[in-house]
Amino acid sequence: MHALLEEFLDKWVWPTMPGAPGADFRLKISRDKCIKGWEINLARTLGDIEEELKTNDEAWKKAHALRGYAAEGVHMSIKQMSGQLLSVDIADQEKYIDLQRMRARQIWDECKHSKLHADVLLGKGWIKDERELMEIAEANEQPLPAYFGLSMMLPHIHPLARAAQNYYTEANACIGIMAYLSLVDDPLVRHEHLSQQDEELMHFMEGKFQLDFYCTDEESQRHVEDVLGYLTYQIGGIAENAPKVRA
Amino acid sequence: MLKVDHDRCTECRMCYIVCRELDINAVYVALEPLHRIEIDPDACTYPGCTACLMYCPAAGSIVEIETGRSMVPPPPEAWQS
Repeated sequence: MHALLEEFLDKWVWPTMPGAPGADFRLKISRDKCIKGWEINLARTLGDIEEELKTNDEAWKKAHALRGYAAEGVHMSIKQMSGQLLSVDIADQEKYIDLQRMRARQIWDECKHSKLHADVLLGKGWIKDERELMEIAEANEQPLPAYFGLSMMLPHIHPLARAAQNYYTEANACIGIMAYLSLVDDPLVRHEHLSQQDEELMHFMEGKFQLDFYCTDEESQRHVEDVLGYLTYQIGGIAENAPKVRA
Repeated sequence: MLKVDHDRCTECRMCYIVCRELDINAVYVALEPLHRIEIDPDACTYPGCTACLMYCPAAGSIVEIETGRSMVPPPPEAWQS
C-alpha cells in the first residue's frame, strides 16, 4: 500500500469511537470496498501529476484551474446540492437533519472551491478579474462528471447511501490533495490544495459520523453497499463492484 | 477540560453535532457576533468522552485547558464509557 494512503487510513479511517453502533460496518466496508478504490485513485492521481510535471510548463495548471472552476464552482453546486437536498423525503427530513446540513454546507464549500481555482488564475496573471471567466468556455464546461455530478445519476438514493458517498468520494479528494502536496512545489497550487484540505476532511468526517451513528440496520447497510459498488465501479473501475441490476 | 483553539478551528461544527448526538450538549454556538463554537466545561465529560476529537477534521483545534496541549483522537483502549 502507498505510504500516503496508509497515512490517511491511520489518521482518519481507523480511529473509531468505541460504542458507535455503525462503526464495525463502516470499518468492514472500508476494508472490503473503499480501500481498493482509494488505492486506484491515488495511483491514478500520482501518475497524472508526474506526467504533468514532466511537461515543465504551466499549461496544465491553467487547464486544471479552468476545469476546476467549471466543475467545482457555483453552477455545479447550486444545481447538484439543491437536488440532493431534496433527495431526503420530507417525512425523513427531521430524522436526517444532519444529512441536510451536510449538503447545505457543501454548497458553501463548492463556492469556495471556485474561488480557489480563480486565485490560481489571478495569481498567475492569466485573468485580470473573476468576471473574465464568464467569457471563457473552459471555465464553464468540462467533460468529466464532477465529484457529485456523478451522484445526480442517482438522486434518490437512501440518505445513508448519500453519507457513504461522502465518505468514499471525499476520501478520494483528501488523498488527491495529499498527492499534490507531496509532489508539487508551486506555492499557488499548494495554497489551493492546503486551503481545501480541512474542508474535504470535514465532508469525509460527516460521512464517517453518519455511518458510525446511523447505519445500523440491514436495509440501510444494503443501500450503502450498493452505492459503494456503484461508486467504486464508476470512479475506481472495479468491475466486481458493479451494481447488480434488479428485476 | 477542553476548549476550542479558534486559530485552528474551521467552524465546521462536527464537534457540535457529535456532542449533541450523544446528548452531552457541551459544545455550543456562542452568543457573540461570530457565533463561534465553544465548549462548556461544566457539561463536558472529558476525559470520559472524547467523541469530538474523533470527528474533528482540523487536527489540533481542540485543546486541553490545563496543559495547552492540542488533542488528537485517543487510542480505543483509552476510551471510557
